[in-house]
Amino acid sequence: MKLAWWKLLAIPMMLYVILAGTLIPLKPGIYTYSPTRITAYEDEAIKIQGYNTHFEAGETKVWVKLVNDRMVPAHRVNVISETDLVAHFKFTKDFVREDPAFADATLIVDTPTDGYSIAPNLRLKASDVPNRFGVFMDTYPLTRLTQVDDFRLPFRQILHETIRNTFFHVAIWMAMFLLLLVSCYHSIQYLRKGDLVADRKSASLTSVGLFFGIAGLLTGSMWAKYTWGTFWTNDIKLNMSAIAMLIYFAYWLLRNSISDIDSRARTSSVYNLFAFASLMILVMVIPRFSDSLHPGNGGNPAFAGEDLDNTLRAVFYPAIIAYTLFGFWMAQLHNRYLDLLYKYND
Amino acid sequence: MAITFVVFKVFGTLEGPTRMGVFWIIMVFISINLVGYSFSLVSDRRRLNYYQLYDPVEFLIAKLLANIFKLIVAGILLIGLFMLFSAQGLKNAWLFTQIYLLASFGLVGVLTFISSIAVYSSNQMSMVTILSLPLLIPVMMIGMRVSLVSERMFFDTSTGNSLLMLFGIDLLMVVLSVLFISFTWKP
Repeated sequence: MKLAWWKLLAIPMMLYVILAGTLIPLKPGIYTYSPTRITAYEDEAIKIQGYNTHFEAGETKVWVKLVNDRMVPAHRVNVISETDLVAHFKFTKDFVREDPAFADATLIVDTPTDGYSIAPNLRLKASDVPNRFGVFMDTYPLTRLTQVDDFRLPFRQILHETIRNTFFHVAIWMAMFLLLLVSCYHSIQYLRKGDLVADRKSASLTSVGLFFGIAGLLTGSMWAKYTWGTFWTNDIKLNMSAIAMLIYFAYWLLRNSISDIDSRARTSSVYNLFAFASLMILVMVIPRFSDSLHPGNGGNPAFAGEDLDNTLRAVFYPAIIAYTLFGFWMAQLHNRYLDLLYKYND
Repeated sequence: MAITFVVFKVFGTLEGPTRMGVFWIIMVFISINLVGYSFSLVSDRRRLNYYQLYDPVEFLIAKLLANIFKLIVAGILLIGLFMLFSAQGLKNAWLFTQIYLLASFGLVGVLTFISSIAVYSSNQMSMVTILSLPLLIPVMMIGMRVSLVSERMFFDTSTGNSLLMLFGIDLLMVVLSVLFISFTWKP
């Protein structure tokens, strides 16, 4: 029996994905801060809680960045521990003079060891009290903040540690699409040549694809619990992919309900192509027409530019390949079982 | 028709979204009964006779046309009954006609094809339902959405898009069935 090089490749890649995906630490970031709404002229103390951070007394600087790119420095930073600090601000009314309502601002913390971290959605209320403090306001360029390049996963608000699910949920879905696509190729081969081997291959690939689909739904459901709040939301993509899984369940039922080998192969090959076309409509086309919580829909960012940074890429792309190879491996084992069953029944 | 009486007895009167929802659900079950069994309610001998006489593609297109005719007539009866019982007409009849026709084509396209597939399975009756319902969901969802717009339940600027997409799905289903019928249709 000849050694399959791709299986040898699949094992270390899978190990790499699991180890790197679970063990690489997150970059430091601002976990929470309070209060999130402040009135602009008072002496405000903002309590900041960091994640994976190393706040140091004297070294840590805190700013509030305004809409017009001006930065207000904290006049006193009180470091409590490595992950907790209190920053005191004296705001003036000048910076929000154009807009008297709540203005959006961003909180920035800069430490020499961790680099800078950003927390959005700080709401500032303008005040009519004149500028009593005369605080120096600086247009501090972002480039002068400390940049730390290390091999760590990006810290994202809301996502936090669940960003690791990119390597599992997203990669499993991608692998599922590839498996089902190859399954369709074998179905077409069967319909063209009438070779039952191709039909059995397509059946194995579809079974593994269905398995991956269920795994994708489960991992996605867990991710939804920690980011959107519930295991199942009314998100269009969720419901559509659940329906797509139902279609593939129907394929499996259809295959098991026909006793004649030839008509089973014919019917299930045709239904497989039908199911793949429906899957494409359900998951790729229909969600485009309405809003979705998923990245890439309804104005949410997707895997472009900044969102998929290099550390994520270094694990995400191998993850897709690893899952696909494992899928083919599983399909091959299942296919051998089907072959034996076929020979035995003959 | 009996089910329409039952529905109106249960609900008392139907308005807005419930009216449309119940309408489409009844439409699905009508179409499963009318169209879904159109291949299986034929005896084996007659099927063999058809097989010898006609080209499968011609046969499928004839079935499609006949089924569309049947479903549209049944649907018009159903709409008539709904308007009679709920004592109010359609608010945007032209939009409703468009979506009604397109969704009917979709139902017929999917179910005719599924019917031709399910002939070979051991329990045809349940197989038609299991195979077709998930495939019908996209058609039904777009149908519901646009018919709610036609009932002025909410406003939607992308109705044209939805209609176009439904037309695309219909076309895809018909093209796929025509492509594959010569593979599946064997006595």
